[in-house]
Amino acid sequence: MSSLLRADTIVLLRNTVSTIAGIFLPVMLIIASTFGKAQARLGGTENIIGLALTLGLVASCILGYSLALAYDRDAGVLQRLRVTPAPTWMIMTSRLLIQVAASLSSSVLVLTVAAILHGLTLSAGQYAIVLAVAILGSVMFLALGQALVGLVKSTSAVNAIGRVLFIVLVLLGVLGATGILGGTVQTIAAFSPVGALMTLFTDTLTSAGWAEQDLASLLACAGYAILFAFIGIRFFRWESR
Amino acid sequence: MTDASGLARPVLEVRDVRVAYGARTAVDGVSFEIHRGEIFGLLGPNGAGKTTTLSVIEGLVRSTSGEVLVDGVDIRQYPAAAKARLGIQLQSTSFQAELRIEQIVKLYGGLYGLRLTREQIIGSMREIGLYEEMGKRFKKLSGGQQQRLALFIATLHDPLLLLLDEPTAGLDPQSRRALWRRIEQLRGTDKSILLTTHSMEEAQAVCDRVAIIDRGRLLAIGAPAALISHHEGDPRVLAVARGPVTLEDVFIGLTGSEIRG
Repeated sequence: MSSLLRADTIVLLRNTVSTIAGIFLPVMLIIASTFGKAQARLGGTENIIGLALTLGLVASCILGYSLALAYDRDAGVLQRLRVTPAPTWMIMTSRLLIQVAASLSSSVLVLTVAAILHGLTLSAGQYAIVLAVAILGSVMFLALGQALVGLVKSTSAVNAIGRVLFIVLVLLGVLGATGILGGTVQTIAAFSPVGALMTLFTDTLTSAGWAEQDLASLLACAGYAILFAFIGIRFFRWESR
Repeated sequence: MTDASGLARPVLEVRDVRVAYGARTAVDGVSFEIHRGEIFGLLGPNGAGKTTTLSVIEGLVRSTSGEVLVDGVDIRQYPAAAKARLGIQLQSTSFQAELRIEQIVKLYGGLYGLRLTREQIIGSMREIGLYEEMGKRFKKLSGGQQQRLALFIATLHDPLLLLLDEPTAGLDPQSRRALWRRIEQLRGTDKSILLTTHSMEEAQAVCDRVAIIDRGRLLAIGAPAALISHHEGDPRVLAVARGPVTLEDVFIGLTGSEIRG
């Protein structure tokens, strides 16, 4: 397992899409929100940080993980690993663990930048909950990425659909939640993967604590994770041919 | 290495293996054995069932019926133990494009439970002529270099049986000859090799025995010279021969002249 973890870490660090999407995007959002009236327009500090944390997770899991997995499947990397004595669950678990660790690191970086630029101060308990939510979000979006690679065989199609999915999820979560697309969309958006996770992040960052709505968001995230993981495992094929 | 009767146990036993995908049968009751130190060639036209047979032995495809024993270990019951005895080079060899040679060697060494020092890796890379490329990422290597690395990785853990799926496909003549030399060296170390190939020249040059497979069935098995002498009077073989009967004539005579997929 340690050999796989080491190799997967190196590959992830050299994956520019994953790095740019998972770190650069959320950090840029935090920096950009310090200019002018952006902070107020985006719903306040907690909303911006919640959005940045969510954006980092969606991007690195859907644009980074699923595309890297599809590419390795297409190139025969997964088959080459499968003919070694390493069990298949170990091959996949190593990748997922590294990705979760990367998501956590990205979240810590976003919180650090937010603390510097926005003066974010959280209690130790709040930090722990934010990181726990980041793990849950990472698992949910990794499961979604896995489902995408399970249902779509072609690497270029995974790439194209992944990009569209990323935009749709973010727009639904962000714009839908504002209510400008109507009440029905607002309700759907609140329980969409991005919307539910943003709710959990934002409410953890505010000192008010969790409300009833957060339990529903938590259940929604867990439900998505289970559903997408089932699809991802059930339909996943180790080779694209 | 011997069974209850005291006879040397085959390194590989393929017994009545059948693979069906719905109504289509890809492998239909294939049986053969490979013995220690033997180089065995599996020949067949495109879509004959060579790669599927090999995939069953590698544990990548589950057979519908039959069994595969690697040094007496059932690949279905004990996949990890059986795979530890196999060295494998797949048809489309690919390692993680972003890893450097040394990192790939360490990864695969680790998966076989080996702890390799940098000095050991450097020594091995010098032997196979990749020392200068050690710092390069896999994607930056030429096709021949990738093939050499793949063969090295396949033999890294000193396996009993080496499975090579079309190992010389796409190689230039120099690289092909170099690979043949490497295979000959491995024969000298008492390793057994199972290779698939489309090249009759290659089969005749390196294989002790060959099996001809078509439409999932084994049509003939034996030493290349024995197969030629056994089939040189066959009208199907004589119809395609353009001089003294060769292994290629036997192959085309038995499998037909039509072009496959």
